[in-house]
Amino acid sequence: MKALTANRLSDGEVVFWKAGAWVERLAEADVFDDDALATEAETRAKGQPTIVIDPYLIELVESAGFWAPVSYRERIRALGPTNHEHHGKQAEGGGAVEALRQANGAARSSGRVNLIRRK
Amino acid sequence: MYRYDAIDRAVLADRTAEFRDQVRRRMSGELTEDQFKPLRLMNGLYLQLHAYMLRVAVPYGSLDPRQMRGLADIARRFDRGYGHFTTRTNIQFNWVRLEDAPDILDALAAVDLHAIQTSGNCIRNVTADPYAGAAADELEDPRVWCEAIRQWSSLHPEFSFLPRKFKIAVTASPHDRTAARVHDIGLLMRRGRDGKTGFEVIVGGGMGRTPYVGPTIRAFLPSDRLFSYLEAILRVYNRHGRRDNIYKARIKILVAALGAEAFGQEVEAEWAKIGPAGDLPQAEIDRIRNAFTVPDFKADPSTGDFEDRRAREPAFARFVRNNLKAHVHPGYGIVDISLKGIGETPGDISADQMDVVADLAERFGMGEIRSTHEQNLVLPHVRLEHLHEVWKILDAAGLATPNINLISDIIACPGLDYCALANARAICVAQDIARRFETPDRAEAIGELKIKISGCINACGHHHVGHIGILGVDKKGEEFYQLTLGGSGAEDAAVGKMLGPALPIDRVTDAVEAIVEAYLKERREGERFLDTLRRTGDAPFKEAVYAEAH
Amino acid sequence: MPRLIRLEGERCADAQDDFVTLEEEAPDPGGDIVVSLARFLAEEQALRDRPGGRVGVRLEPADEVEALEGRLSGLTLVALAFPRFRDGRPFTSAHLLRTRLGFGGEIRAVGDVLRDQAGFMARCGFNAFEPADGSSAEEWAAAIARHTHVYQRAADQRSPAFVERQGG
Repeated sequence: MKALTANRLSDGEVVFWKAGAWVERLAEADVFDDDALATEAETRAKGQPTIVIDPYLIELVESAGFWAPVSYRERIRALGPTNHEHHGKQAEGGGAVEALRQANGAARSSGRVNLIRRK
Repeated sequence: MYRYDAIDRAVLADRTAEFRDQVRRRMSGELTEDQFKPLRLMNGLYLQLHAYMLRVAVPYGSLDPRQMRGLADIARRFDRGYGHFTTRTNIQFNWVRLEDAPDILDALAAVDLHAIQTSGNCIRNVTADPYAGAAADELEDPRVWCEAIRQWSSLHPEFSFLPRKFKIAVTASPHDRTAARVHDIGLLMRRGRDGKTGFEVIVGGGMGRTPYVGPTIRAFLPSDRLFSYLEAILRVYNRHGRRDNIYKARIKILVAALGAEAFGQEVEAEWAKIGPAGDLPQAEIDRIRNAFTVPDFKADPSTGDFEDRRAREPAFARFVRNNLKAHVHPGYGIVDISLKGIGETPGDISADQMDVVADLAERFGMGEIRSTHEQNLVLPHVRLEHLHEVWKILDAAGLATPNINLISDIIACPGLDYCALANARAICVAQDIARRFETPDRAEAIGELKIKISGCINACGHHHVGHIGILGVDKKGEEFYQLTLGGSGAEDAAVGKMLGPALPIDRVTDAVEAIVEAYLKERREGERFLDTLRRTGDAPFKEAVYAEAH
Repeated sequence: MPRLIRLEGERCADAQDDFVTLEEEAPDPGGDIVVSLARFLAEEQALRDRPGGRVGVRLEPADEVEALEGRLSGLTLVALAFPRFRDGRPFTSAHLLRTRLGFGGEIRAVGDVLRDQAGFMARCGFNAFEPADGSSAEEWAAAIARHTHVYQRAADQRSPAFVERQGG
């Protein structure tokens, strides 16, 4: 499973793709089980350079009934910094946030790969 | 403090207006992200994991109370009520919106602050001795030269698109508190035979992927020839530094490739062509010197009940032992404010704490505040008579942790909690180690021990020069940590040596403790950790960390 | 054909570009031409003798301007190429052409040329620009005039702050 993420241009907020627009919570995002659809969404997202920066696909795993990123870096992006539990998306708490915190899995973030390659 | 004149203010106003226009053009799509990125970086604006981050310059680590309150105001209005002091003596705000960035720059300019050249491939904020103007052992106040360099390097037409970033350190004290030998240029003030001041010029130190302790390319450069010499170094670098590989683009690689001697000859040849026409007139140096307010020190002021309270109050005595340094004027002291409270994020400071520090500087500190590359603050001029009251107020604000240069005074970069480049977290590792050694008696018994943690090889956490360095690495998506021993950023600069295989996150604090226990076992009278290590080599420490593994 | 903007004094204006940049082996079409540094050095005499047209030289960032020392008379144009706008070497090339080699002709920025670099370029001695970002002469004039004060001596004639402060 995959989701599409980016940072919003106007304020840098981490956002996720939902039906051609962007939402702030991963729990509300489109989840793709079809690679072709995911890639198509990514291409459309790259066509929105005044709305988001650097959209990329991330891998998901199931956690406590929710989808969570496999990569630790992406889980931090979806939650907020681990040294300030009341900062970032995690501040609102709830089942989806808890599921992200409990998620297991380790992989390099595909966003990081892009970041390095761009240099 | 250097007082801005109308010209300095106009430069900031013009620069902010320029950036406001660039932000507008980015939002409207006139500028692509690729085009905009270097422009925003030259104003200190990064895109990090959760938001934009704005890095504000604290020029050579000097702030006055009005500026500190200005930073507190920005933390409250535009961020989440806190800021983070960095290893380059700057302050970062972690939750900035692009839309707000021009307004923040205006708010900074209102207190004579800016974010110019806090990122990008240009000449960055100069590092100065945080005890400048106060240290008992300095030749003269190096900040005059730092301010002159700040002006010379600001929007330099020729040197704003260098192969890579460029960092200069200046110190006038034999005890190096700037890590000058791991800067692109380190300037160590010396006194010449004729009694005039000059600089030993070190070029090509650095950390990152390929750490080097920089070689001296000129033993003595007369002060009045500084700017033509800097121009020569920068020109040689701008022309010949590598641009084909970001990891080989720093000047250290050029110096190492040519050899220090050949590089020095290139610089000297270019310097001869520039001649004195490239120097700053003495009148301008004098003007800058006069634009620094000189605190009105009293001759031998009363120290009140300082000695008495120190004798009677162990907690105060501990603070004095660890956080007070000798001042050039009797009856005064230099006070280190630790931003390393046990379990806190190294370098973080809340807006309320900023206001407390501003008030203290105003009431008891002759209006001066410094930030250090070790992510702490300093009140450089405090009367000993007032120290007890200052300590009480700091303590009430959570700012009196008596751990300067001790094991819990840990440098850590923001790491994977904030930084888009990081491989692993650094903050939680620092917090865990600090908690393990939170007993003050134990920390003092261990003595000077500098732990420095970076979340990636870019080494913002200076791990290469940590007595114990900790580098976060990504092993197939998991956080691992590589330990190095024996680094130093001081006058005995050295790059630490890797101890062994990287450790998973839950073994790092145990490993540090094993190293400390091995040191305590091996230590001879009067030795610091670094002295013992240099005497014994790393075998006992390797044994301590890895023998019991598995 | 990219737009050409010329800077005269403090004014920027669209200009007619009569120069044709020649590929390495391309035959001389006559008229005003720009050739690479290597070609200029190899064919210098022939180029100087050619009738009915001016000659300009194009330098890539790695080309050293010192190669033109003593050869600048009769040259009306030196084009300095920015393969990427982040490559800062042409700033040094322009600075040296003006201040050390005494070149008084046109120094033209070509390639990935953005108006956000206009101020730096003008200060280093560039006086002609082929913008790659579609920017106009008015925008270049505004960008060049953006800063009321400058801190450094450079290849332009502006008084740095330290001279202004002495009442100069």
